[in-house]
Amino acid sequence: MRAAGGVDPARRIFAVALVLLLLSACAHPRATRAAGKKMIVLGLDGVDPVFLEAHWDVLPNLNRLRRTGDFKRLGTTVPPQSPVAWSTVTTGMDPGGHGVFDFVHRDPSTRAPVFSMAETSPPKHTLGIGPYLIPLSSGSVTSSRVGRTFWQILEDHGIPSNVIRMPANFPPAECEADSLSGMGTPDMMGTSGTFTFFTDDPAEKRTTVPAGRIVHVSITNGRAALRIEGPPNGFRRDNAPAAVEMLAHVDPTAQAARFDLGDQQVVLGRGEWSDWLHADFRLLPLVKSASGILRIYLQQAHPYLRVYVSPVNIDPASPELPISTPAAFSRQLSDALGPFYTQGIAEETSAYRAGLLNKDEFLVQSHKILSDSLRMFRYELARFSDGLLFYYFSSTDQNAHMLWGKYDDDLLDVYRAVDGAVGEAIAKAGNDTTLLILSDHGFARFDRAVHLNTWLMREGFLSLDDPANTGDEELFAHVDWSRTQAYAMGLNGLYLNRIGRENGGIVADSEVQQVKQMITQKLLEFRDPKNGQLVVGKVYDPEAVFKGRNLRMSPDLIVGYHRGYRGSWQTALGVVPTTLIDDNTQGWIADHCMAADEVPGVLLSNRKMRLENPQLYDVTATILSEFGVPKESVMLGQTVF
Amino acid sequence: MDTLNAAMDFVLKAFFGAFRWSPGLGLALISAAAGAGMLWVFQRTSDQAAIRAVKRLVQAHLLELRIYRDEPGVMWQAQKSLVASNLRYMGLMLRPALIMGLPFAILLVHLDAFYGRAPLRVGADTIVTMGLRGPAGGSVPRLDAPPGVAVETPAVRVLDEGQVSWRIRPRTAVSGLLRIRVEGGAVEKRIEAGAGPRFVAGRKVSSLWDAVWHPDEPRIAAPNVDWVEIRYPDARVEWLGIRMHWLIWFIVVSMLAALLLKKRFGVVL
Repeated sequence: MRAAGGVDPARRIFAVALVLLLLSACAHPRATRAAGKKMIVLGLDGVDPVFLEAHWDVLPNLNRLRRTGDFKRLGTTVPPQSPVAWSTVTTGMDPGGHGVFDFVHRDPSTRAPVFSMAETSPPKHTLGIGPYLIPLSSGSVTSSRVGRTFWQILEDHGIPSNVIRMPANFPPAECEADSLSGMGTPDMMGTSGTFTFFTDDPAEKRTTVPAGRIVHVSITNGRAALRIEGPPNGFRRDNAPAAVEMLAHVDPTAQAARFDLGDQQVVLGRGEWSDWLHADFRLLPLVKSASGILRIYLQQAHPYLRVYVSPVNIDPASPELPISTPAAFSRQLSDALGPFYTQGIAEETSAYRAGLLNKDEFLVQSHKILSDSLRMFRYELARFSDGLLFYYFSSTDQNAHMLWGKYDDDLLDVYRAVDGAVGEAIAKAGNDTTLLILSDHGFARFDRAVHLNTWLMREGFLSLDDPANTGDEELFAHVDWSRTQAYAMGLNGLYLNRIGRENGGIVADSEVQQVKQMITQKLLEFRDPKNGQLVVGKVYDPEAVFKGRNLRMSPDLIVGYHRGYRGSWQTALGVVPTTLIDDNTQGWIADHCMAADEVPGVLLSNRKMRLENPQLYDVTATILSEFGVPKESVMLGQTVF
Repeated sequence: MDTLNAAMDFVLKAFFGAFRWSPGLGLALISAAAGAGMLWVFQRTSDQAAIRAVKRLVQAHLLELRIYRDEPGVMWQAQKSLVASNLRYMGLMLRPALIMGLPFAILLVHLDAFYGRAPLRVGADTIVTMGLRGPAGGSVPRLDAPPGVAVETPAVRVLDEGQVSWRIRPRTAVSGLLRIRVEGGAVEKRIEAGAGPRFVAGRKVSSLWDAVWHPDEPRIAAPNVDWVEIRYPDARVEWLGIRMHWLIWFIVVSMLAALLLKKRFGVVL
């Protein structure tokens, strides 16, 4: 039947269907999607194979995977540091490809440390009005990692993915997939996390500790004003940090206080944590403010007030910096789950190391992070129906740093909680979903802290203006660069002082190999004066061990310590202490920044694996292969199946 | 004042109870009735003839602006007259606005207890604060909660503000009384926890003037206590699939009702 004066309805329907078909084909021009393929990948940072093997009986879900699927040691990166390793998982390239070599790189012109994962640029054009600067162009935050992420490649082929808390993914790689940035996401101050500790205790003399401020307050008529600093105010000429004032009302006798922040109030007893509080930092009056979230902990009210305030996290409901794709995704999570930790590494190891929180207090805080994470994991798992789900847990790593080998029962509690999440993933996966569980590295005790700059000095590779000027000053304060061939910065990196690269460098290109060989040979002979043990197991030359040639920020040598040894915190910041190796007496008792083959990670799956010695970049190849997507030419690795 | 407040709450509670199945619809009906009421009061308290005249003047000046746009002198005069006419129009609105202001403010204050505050979520903590007439540093007040509500902290005396605060947490759905024992007496305060909309009393006060603005409970008799308050979460009213603050619903629906009914009432706005 034909409609009078019109087109045959059947033809019209056919034409519309054809157009829709063409449009859908255009949306994914290179669609090679493996029909119905599903994959769940869980990243368990720092899960160690030896620890797993010792506790299979109390980790039923991981053990089930081992028995019914497969379990292998997973070769980690050089150096075995999380930002380096996860960048390899993300891109399928070695550090020579993605260009992330350490938590900390150095600027060759100043030899000052720079954050390895992202860099920020202020607006290029501004207009000054009084104390304020009005930006006329936008600033930017860019990832320092090179290479395309596996989920961007999957997206090219029409495969949906959710990538939650991937480390070294701040700002998140541009894509349409739901993603939330992980390790490397800063707090509102732009640091990896700066807490504030308020006290009126006269015995507390410090004002700063690593990653924290100690602020001395006075209490008048039961009231103390606590100034909480937020982001540096880019709208001001002096870039002074914006701040909010929180009032603490301390009861005259009871171990309790009320805290007023804006229109929010919270009453805490001794040893209690608050829920999330919102802080609104005014940047430009009536025009611009920045929203952050924080938690407070009343350690005690008497005889002295001791209050811990967490780093101010980016508010996921109103993020000041890009933390998700699409930008509204973090708000979606916040609406569904309430506020959550957005800071990349939120476990409060710094306050614990500084002795401001004790072990039990640290555990309570770190379990709050784990609870947050498990809640988000369950939300994502429930939503997952197609393509890829990647979810990352930090708790296994950060707790291991503080508990490994000394408080194994506490660490096992964390492993058990994560094992529960693995059980939920197994149930969700069923028979039609590939499940991969991986860790980026293992763990070892960190008993002795090696001052690598002091070693370089004693071996004649580094000189001070006066040999007596060793000490705690950072950034090579007394180094005589005209007589220095090499210096150390970061946790494994060793750099030559090269002509044409370093400002005032003295090592010519023709001398580079010779100096490297001399340092390598001496490092491999380096013995601990306390016990005679060899300190260094491997010295890696990036030009030899990395296939990628993106070595602009690479150290000239990477030091792989034996288990038990690690570069000292001072080495990471360019300090030349007097002693060569110190006992590690801090709360940070375990680490993995050692020789890569001494701290392998783990790989488990619900399927048998073909590869005998899988490497981290094989995980990337495996993910792409599972969806029938070819890996890019710069990618290393092969599928493990 | 307590009697008046109680009477209003009695009526509103009956109405609210009748529309418990759809609080949004109940609010819409109250808002529409308020819009009609506003129109009725406006009709009787405003100078309708003067309003009609000044509106015509405004229209005339607007027409002047369109017609004589090439004649700056006339434009300038028209603009001055337009401003003057608008000021006159606003002046004519003042009397009905003043007459309606107080009763409507009182109505809104009463409605806030039904639509503005949500009961406490079971398991979520909140703060109870008592304001004192004198300093807070004396003897420690004691808070007793009904079964199902835990008092989680000792009293915190806020010396510089003359207040005492506690943190409480409902463990089950509750509709009961908190009892605070202070020097010279005791104070009871209603507490509501659980799901679903209900009457949630706001601040309980002692003075007559404060009771105008905080009318939900009888005034405090204890001589040293000024007020007691529980921090409740804000509620949102859902109607026609849209969730909004009740006051936005009220303004939108009452204005719509007034606009729709103005011809029937023969009112010039």
